[in-house]
Amino acid sequence: MIPRQAIWITGVGTANPLGNTYSRFAECLLDGHSGVRAIAEFDVAQHPSQIAGQIDAIPCPPDMAPEDFTILQPLEQLVTWCAGSALRDAGWWEDRFELRIGLVLGIGAEWALLWEVDGLPGGNRIRHPELDTTSLVERTRRRLDLSGPVACVSAACASGNHALAQARRWLQLGWVDVCLAGACEMVVRPMSLAGFGNLRALSRRNAEPHAASRPFDRGRDGFVMSEGGAIFLLEPAASARKRSAHVYGEVAGCGASSDAHHMVIPSPDPEPAITAMRQAIADAGIELDEVDYVNAHATSTPVGDAAEARVLNAVFGDAVRTVPVSSTKSMTGHLLTAAAAVEALACLAAMERRAVPPTINLDDPDPECDLCHVPNEARPHRVRVAVSNSFGFGGSNTCLVLKAV
Amino acid sequence: MEPSANVLTAATCCDVLAHGSVRAAPAEIASLRQNLGPVPGHPLPTGFLRHADEQTVVGLAAVLQAIATHGLAGQRFTEWGVLASPRYLGRLTLAAAIDRFKTEGAWGVSPHVIPHRMLHSISGAISQVLKIHGPNLGVGGGPGGLLEVFRMAAGMLHGDRLPGLWVVLTGWDPEPIPGEAQPGEARCIGVALALTAPRAYPRGRRLRLTLADQRRTASGKVRGGATPDVLDLDTLLAALDAIDVRSAGVVWQLEDGGRLELEKAEACNSLAGPHGCGFGGGRVGVGSSGAGAEDSP
Repeated sequence: MIPRQAIWITGVGTANPLGNTYSRFAECLLDGHSGVRAIAEFDVAQHPSQIAGQIDAIPCPPDMAPEDFTILQPLEQLVTWCAGSALRDAGWWEDRFELRIGLVLGIGAEWALLWEVDGLPGGNRIRHPELDTTSLVERTRRRLDLSGPVACVSAACASGNHALAQARRWLQLGWVDVCLAGACEMVVRPMSLAGFGNLRALSRRNAEPHAASRPFDRGRDGFVMSEGGAIFLLEPAASARKRSAHVYGEVAGCGASSDAHHMVIPSPDPEPAITAMRQAIADAGIELDEVDYVNAHATSTPVGDAAEARVLNAVFGDAVRTVPVSSTKSMTGHLLTAAAAVEALACLAAMERRAVPPTINLDDPDPECDLCHVPNEARPHRVRVAVSNSFGFGGSNTCLVLKAV
Repeated sequence: MEPSANVLTAATCCDVLAHGSVRAAPAEIASLRQNLGPVPGHPLPTGFLRHADEQTVVGLAAVLQAIATHGLAGQRFTEWGVLASPRYLGRLTLAAAIDRFKTEGAWGVSPHVIPHRMLHSISGAISQVLKIHGPNLGVGGGPGGLLEVFRMAAGMLHGDRLPGLWVVLTGWDPEPIPGEAQPGEARCIGVALALTAPRAYPRGRRLRLTLADQRRTASGKVRGGATPDVLDLDTLLAALDAIDVRSAGVVWQLEDGGRLELEKAEACNSLAGPHGCGFGGGRVGVGSSGAGAEDSP
C-alpha cells in the first residue's frame, strides 16, 4: 500500500465564465450570477444552440511579454494562465526550480481543437503532421520550467477529477514534491457547437441565455456549452504546514468507474455511478452524515439529471432529504473536459465562504429529481466536507471528496 | 520543503500478463470493422464500430488478440481499468469534417465526430466491449504519449486497488496526410498490454519505470524533451517479441533522464528495495541527473 499522507490544495488558478480569478469566481458563484450569453464571436445562425458560457480575454501572466502570449492558441493561453496562477498563488513560483513539480492536465481533444482553430480560417496544419511535434503538456512544462513528470488525461467531463486523483497519487508515491492538476477546455468553437448541437444535447433556449442552463428543473432542455479551466497546486500536508501556506482544502477521496454501456447515453443501471461515489467516500475515510454539500454533475439534460438523482438517493438513502445539492453548471454552463475542475473550485469556495452555491433557474423542480435543492440563492451553511460528482462520455463516472482543513 | 537532490526515483513495476498487436492496412481495417473476430462473453452489438476511428478498431483488435493468444478468454475484466493512448486520433476524419463544415455549415458536422474522436474514445469503447467497470481514460494523445500512459498505469496499479489494467497504444505509421493517397506501406498499429501490479512469482514480462528528476542543468534550463524518438510502437513491439527469445531486457533511456525497462519477469527477483519494484517513495542513485546515474539492477 502507498502511504496515506494528506494532500492539500495550496494554490488555484482559473479563468471561467464567472471570472478569471478565484475570488471573482467565488463572488459570482454565491451571487447566483450566470456566465451564459449569446455567442457573438462567430456566426451561429445555422446552429440549433446559439448560446454558451464564455470567458473574457484570458489575462497575460505577469512574467510573459504580451506579444509572446498573444500568439499562443487560446487553449494554450488558458493553460499557461491557470497553471502559472496556481503556482504563484501557492507561493512556489520563485522557488519552482528547486522542486520536482508535476502536471496532470485534463484535455479532451487537444489536436482536434488545434486543427479546427487553424483549419476553419483557411490553415492547412492538419495536412502537415511534421508540425505536430510537441504536446501542450510538454510545452507547458518547458514554459513554466516544471521539472517533474507530466501527463494529459481525458475522461470527457470527468477529466478534472481523474487529474486530481492521479496528482494526489503521484504525491503519495513520492514521484513529485508538488503537483499541478486540473483541466482546461476551449470548446466554444463552430464545429464543436455543431457537433454537440447535432447530437441534440444542447439547450435551444436561445432567447434567454441566462435561463438556459436549468439543472433539475422540469423545463430543462439540454446543456449549455462553456469554456474555461481550473488548475490546482497540490502539496503534501506536511510541506504546507511547515511553510504556513494558505490551504484551500484537502483532496481527501476519489472514486472512478465505467458504465460499460454506451459512448454517449448514461447507463440505466445506476450501480457504476453509485460505486464511484462509495469508493470516494470510503477513500476519504468519512461517514455519509459528514457530507455537508454535494456539487452534482447535473448538466441540465432530461435523462442525465434524473439518473444522477437516482444515484444520490441510492447512496444517501433518507439523508438525501437533508444534504444540500446544487449544480453550479446552472451558472457556468457545462465546461465539458474542465467541468470537474471548475466544480472542485466551487466546492472550495463553498468551504471558504461558508455557503452552498445555488442552482439558478430552478423554478419548477422535476419530481424525478427529488433532492435537497438550493434553488436560486446561496444558502449560508458550514461546509466541512464537499462531494463533487462528474460523469462523462465514454461511460466514465467519478467522484471527488474535498475536506476543509 | 528541502530542495531535492539530482536523483533517479525508485522504480515502479508492472507485470505484463498478456500482450497483443495488430498492424493493419486501410483495407484490412475495413474488414476488421465488419468482423473483429470472437469477443469473450458476448457478441459485439451490430454496427458497434461503424463510426469508430481506425485507431479504435486496431486497438480493440489488439486487445482481443492478447486475450486469445494468452488464454484469457475465460477471464472477466469487470474490476479492471483501461487506459488508451492514441496518437493524433482522427486526423483523416477531422480533415474531411473541416472541409465539409466549410461547404455545408453546421448541419454538415456528423454527430459521431465528438463521441468517437476524443482522447477518451478508445478507452470508452474498450470498456464497453470487455464490460470493464473500473476507470477508463485516454492518456497522452500526441508525442510523448507512450511514456505518459506507462507512468499513469504504474501510478494507478499501485494505488487504485485494481486487479489489472489494459494499456492500449495506437497510431499510424507513417502518419497519414489527409487528401493524399496513403503510401502502400501505411499501417495503423495497435498494441495492447494487460498489466498487473508486480506479483510475487512472476512469469512473462515485467515493465519497470524509473522516473528522473529533471531539474535544471548547469545552464539553467530544465532537462527533458520529447520522447517519441526513443520509445515508439515499433520499438515497443520488437522488444515485447524479443523478450521471448532472450533473457536480457530492453532498456529505453528516456530523454527526460528516466528510463523504461522491459525484462523477463523471472529475472526480477525482488518486489521491493531500491533497485527492485518498490512503490517509488524513496530515491536512489544520488549523482548527476539523467541516464546512467544508477547502475542496472
